[in-house]
Amino acid sequence: MSNSSKPNLWVRYTSKSPVFVTVFSVVLGLVVGALVIIATSPVILHSWSLVFSSWGGIFHALKVTLDNVGAAYRSIFTGSIVDPPQFWHALTTGKDWTVALTPISETLTYTAPLLIASIGVGIAFQAGMFNIGANGQAVMGGIVGTAAGSMLHLPTVVHVPLTLLAGILGGVIAGIIPGLLKAFTGAHEVIITLMLNYVIAFFLIYTLLSTALQQPGQQNDVSRYVDPTAQLSPLFGAHSGLRVNWGIIIAGIVVLFAWWFLERSTLGFDFRVTGASPKTAQASGINAKVVIVLVFLISGGLAGLAGVVQVSSTTHFLDGGFLVGSAGIGFTAITVSLLGRNNPIGIIWGSLLFAALNVGGRVMQASTSIPLDLATIIQSVIVLFVATPVLVKEIFRLRVEHAEAVQLSVKGWS
Amino acid sequence: MSISEIASTTISKVKRPVGRSRAIGTLTLLLGAFTTFIFGLGSNPASKSILTFNPTNLTGVIPPHVGELSVPSKATCLILGILIIAVGIEILVRRPAEGLMVRFGGSAVLFVIGLLIWTVRVPGPAPFGVINMTAVLVGSSPLVMVLVFGALSGVMCERAGVVNIAIEGQFIGGAFFGSMIASTTHNFILAAFMGALIGALLGLLLSFLALRYLSDQIIVGVVIVTMLASLSSYLNVQVLSPYPQYNTGDLAPKLAIPLLAKIPILGPVFFNQNGFFYLMIVLVVVISFALFKTRYGLHVRAVGEHPKAAETVGIDVIKIRYFNVVVGGAIAGIGGVAFVASYGQFQPGCTSGLGYIALAALIFGKWRPSGAVVASIIFGVSVYLANNLQTYNVPVRSAILQTFPYLITIGVVAGLIGRVRAPAADGQPYKRD
Amino acid sequence: MKTMHLELRNITKRFGSFTANNKISLTVEPGQIHCLLGENGAGKSTLMNVLFGLLEPDEGEILIDGEPIKFSNSGEAVRRGIGMVHQHFMLVPVFSVAENVVLGFEPTKSFGRLDLEKASDDIRRVSKEFGLEVDPDAIIEELSVGIQQRVEILKALNHDAQLLILDEPTAVLTPQEIDSLLEIMRSLTAAGKSILFITHKLKEVQAIADVITIIRLGEVVGTALPTDLESVLASKMVGREVNLTVAKDEVTQGDVVLEIRNLVVHDDRGLPVVNDVSLDVHGGEILALAGVQGNGQTELVEAIAGIRRIESGTITLGGKDITNNSPRQILDAGLGHIPEDRQSNGLVLSMSVADNMVLNTPRRAPFAKRGTRNLKAVDENAQTLVKNFDVRTTSTQAPLSSLSGGNQQKVIVARELSRPIAALVASQPTRGLDVGSIEYVHKQIVNERNSGRGVLIVSSELDEVFALGDRIAVMHNGKITGIVPTSTSRSDVGLLMAGVTEGSNE
Repeated sequence: MSNSSKPNLWVRYTSKSPVFVTVFSVVLGLVVGALVIIATSPVILHSWSLVFSSWGGIFHALKVTLDNVGAAYRSIFTGSIVDPPQFWHALTTGKDWTVALTPISETLTYTAPLLIASIGVGIAFQAGMFNIGANGQAVMGGIVGTAAGSMLHLPTVVHVPLTLLAGILGGVIAGIIPGLLKAFTGAHEVIITLMLNYVIAFFLIYTLLSTALQQPGQQNDVSRYVDPTAQLSPLFGAHSGLRVNWGIIIAGIVVLFAWWFLERSTLGFDFRVTGASPKTAQASGINAKVVIVLVFLISGGLAGLAGVVQVSSTTHFLDGGFLVGSAGIGFTAITVSLLGRNNPIGIIWGSLLFAALNVGGRVMQASTSIPLDLATIIQSVIVLFVATPVLVKEIFRLRVEHAEAVQLSVKGWS
Repeated sequence: MSISEIASTTISKVKRPVGRSRAIGTLTLLLGAFTTFIFGLGSNPASKSILTFNPTNLTGVIPPHVGELSVPSKATCLILGILIIAVGIEILVRRPAEGLMVRFGGSAVLFVIGLLIWTVRVPGPAPFGVINMTAVLVGSSPLVMVLVFGALSGVMCERAGVVNIAIEGQFIGGAFFGSMIASTTHNFILAAFMGALIGALLGLLLSFLALRYLSDQIIVGVVIVTMLASLSSYLNVQVLSPYPQYNTGDLAPKLAIPLLAKIPILGPVFFNQNGFFYLMIVLVVVISFALFKTRYGLHVRAVGEHPKAAETVGIDVIKIRYFNVVVGGAIAGIGGVAFVASYGQFQPGCTSGLGYIALAALIFGKWRPSGAVVASIIFGVSVYLANNLQTYNVPVRSAILQTFPYLITIGVVAGLIGRVRAPAADGQPYKRD
Repeated sequence: MKTMHLELRNITKRFGSFTANNKISLTVEPGQIHCLLGENGAGKSTLMNVLFGLLEPDEGEILIDGEPIKFSNSGEAVRRGIGMVHQHFMLVPVFSVAENVVLGFEPTKSFGRLDLEKASDDIRRVSKEFGLEVDPDAIIEELSVGIQQRVEILKALNHDAQLLILDEPTAVLTPQEIDSLLEIMRSLTAAGKSILFITHKLKEVQAIADVITIIRLGEVVGTALPTDLESVLASKMVGREVNLTVAKDEVTQGDVVLEIRNLVVHDDRGLPVVNDVSLDVHGGEILALAGVQGNGQTELVEAIAGIRRIESGTITLGGKDITNNSPRQILDAGLGHIPEDRQSNGLVLSMSVADNMVLNTPRRAPFAKRGTRNLKAVDENAQTLVKNFDVRTTSTQAPLSSLSGGNQQKVIVARELSRPIAALVASQPTRGLDVGSIEYVHKQIVNERNSGRGVLIVSSELDEVFALGDRIAVMHNGKITGIVPTSTSRSDVGLLMAGVTEGSNE
């Protein structure tokens, strides 16, 4: 039966080399993206409908296809990394560096909050828990952070850390709810965090319309502006025109923290043991409830930090559409973490890649009118192919009863 | 003791877990307290509420007119509240094993009635002191219907042991593509087929990744939803906006059942609905029958509880799981079509998490179609009210009001998970030796 | 009556470079009880999986009534008349007896509807015929293990099996239930059924077998008759002279190190599964807790280790009250714990050997200081322990999954015995291990005892209980039915295991 089934090429390849799988998945994602473009571009479709009308028809169709798809992907690349002619120009003439470096700068700007949130999700995954609520936690972080940044007025050296702490606090508040529920009632965090995302989205609108957070004089759901003293200033100065800012430095610190935490700290060890085998964790003295709450505290806090970094470094204010929808940083963080196999190094690469797709996608939308959602579609496809064979991690769940005793059950709801 | 006596010892009758009655009992008490103190004592002793029962916007079949009912607001709410408290106490004290859902459902109904009475009390903040109960039910019915479709999808998948988080994605896909077909062909049967096809394809993707490659089912489900959400947003810009003829927002026509639709008060709710509603009822009956009375159903449940045992008697676990997930996906896809067929145009995000609420309804209903229907009614009415109560000037901001269904879902899931038994093999990848 | 003549000819099965079955041949005549005797890891399960259609042999053939047969799944094997009673029952806990018995072969009415009335009637008929009394409407999870096994047998009979494979069926039965099972087997063979009985227990083989095939390391090493000496059988099974007892010196007992008083513990359903248990373990003694699995021993150990709540009663370790303390506190108070299910309770398979060695004490110096781990110290500790406890591994950083079962158990033993402990609780410590590892673990346990520590060993293997225990406590249905010296006869202990205490009528 199973033993003599035909050897599965896919399974053989993927079990040998994670790097191969990742590269293959990225390529596949780009191919699917191309197909989506083709299927919805009137120009391309029209050219294919003429395939049989002349001898050169198929070549014409192919040319149109490649031109359009190529234009889209080229703009993603030039918009997120570099536009070679511009770069060459800056190199040779010494001028217009701003224009040449803007793509990379934008990518790094977007990478910062994404990296922070992804690390948070990755730590939770390593402890065996799904923090699908990272987006809501990031929004909460944005709310509390913006409140601190816009309603308090302090010198920069105090204001920036305080604002960041406020963001972390917001994320902690949003994260602790599923954490406590899971620890003390055994509730499954997936539905709870998914529902919380919606609750927090409405809460955002409420704060922007009905509380002091609303910008004075505005009727719409727009917040106050974050004080300049609380903003994360560009690394090369405001006049450089490059938006890459202290956020990326903070992200770097977070990565170092995550590495130290998981590899060297005793608490991180407890997290990893819990993620690998909850029963063993419990039997060897690890307190399940404490671990669960701490996981969501840390993961939520990092997501909240991501939210406030996002606001503080880019828009400097909130509106009702902050991180809305499935392209929100919190959801992208989940896919990045899966792509990076939940470890800090992989997550760095994953964040850079997905940030590039997002930033480049914006440029693509501006120049070719192909909607930005294409980037998210490509990301989802990549993750679907990556999250398969190599990531067959037995993720167990801890189910906690009302007494001190901790019980066990496997995947699924309970 | 003789050998056979020793050997025929059975363990005493298993006591059902106590935690569930405690959770539901507490919830019921809370409802009762709320009703008594906020609704009852919060009403002016002289205030009155008027309840009407005649449906609005009917085409053709109109039941005989029923007069309005005027009740003293405070007294009625107090009575309702005390009734609910009594039920809550009964649950906590007597700890019944069965019938908890019925008790809680009944309490929830009384609570909603109290809420409505309190909302429209005169003198009070509401602009008009009348609430049309039938209209509330009719208005909630599309939501209930969509939730039932989602919960049925969940039943099909999870009874066979596969967790389907992608229901929301199947809703979106069905809604989008079903809307396109409906707009172009004006034929809702074709639209339903399209929705079923999309849902089935997504179910195929989920089962393929989960069964063949042992991917984590929850992750795959979440990613599928993300993918569909982005895809629908993308296609909305590329296709629906430039070509509005693909998104006309046609509504499926209501088909009144001749005599039954004339039943006062409840007739219009159950018997004057569009085809999708009747399809839903048929599906509930068919799936209940299939799951609990047929060979196929026994096989499915065995696969969901103990796949190895099923395998050793020759049941093809993988094939059953594929089948159930694909059919479950199709059902969810039809649910998506039903949504746009009842509400009109497709817009990105229109399903706003109903797929996840359907999962909560599934759990609340203990993975049985009948239970899922009751749960869907409770959740559906709460979503409807959350979206519509602000016209009555309730003292709660609209944005906060709209969080209530989701909070209720969280409360239900947090209170019940771990105290109800999912199919034992739910979510576990099945590895053949 | 239909009968089956089964022949296995040169069955060979490889997994990569490892040969699990090497040219195995045996014959089962109609109406015969053929015992397959071999220790853990000998290849019995693989062979049965081949016979039952779950695996395909690389070489060799299966002949039924002289005709070569190929099965591609177990459904075909069942249809051909081979029935299997698995060691871990293949019963759906929430289904009734009737639903389980007819699963896959259900009688139906119109529209594919289940005909459970007919199923129940059939079951009643068959169970009467073979003495397997059972209520068709009972729910499986509410039945005792012995009864559940009957349902497994009924299932096989319902499929019209002519050959029944019984895979280690007595692991979960009391001696009296075992007698009952042997009676059933005799009535089955009287009706012409053949039985292939797999076990590693010599006494059962002598009691019931018509023919014995002995298998070791994947090969048939010989056949025997039930009249052969036990020691002859044993040495054929393991390939050398086997010492069936463990050498133990006389040691003076110390004070009580582990005291359990009137303990009441509930199982997952809220029923008392440990019902007023009192035990004393002295320093320098091994108290063996005997009993068929499922009588509360697992929950008792979990309560001692702090993983399960104690409803009432007390536990004292080294004079300190540890009732309902957290596992952390209990481990720190000096409890050594070798858990029953080492892979899911005692080890993290994906982590390194070194990390597993410090699993109970990762925060203590020298392995960590103020929250930061000292990886060098962890590794050095592992190097020392690997050497001292003869753990076979490629490196201390190798993942634990790369070790064999026996070596994994050695890691746990090394870990627990290198900490300062007052008492050791070992639960089924040699289950699934090869003979070499069993001897090693027994030696270590006796060492602990000789060094003055108290040992509580929980085992369902009576041989182990008699070999290691200084005293034997017997547990049945959540109660201690007796605490007796090791000189007590096996059958008396067996009666205690079945719940027959002094003074009750037989």
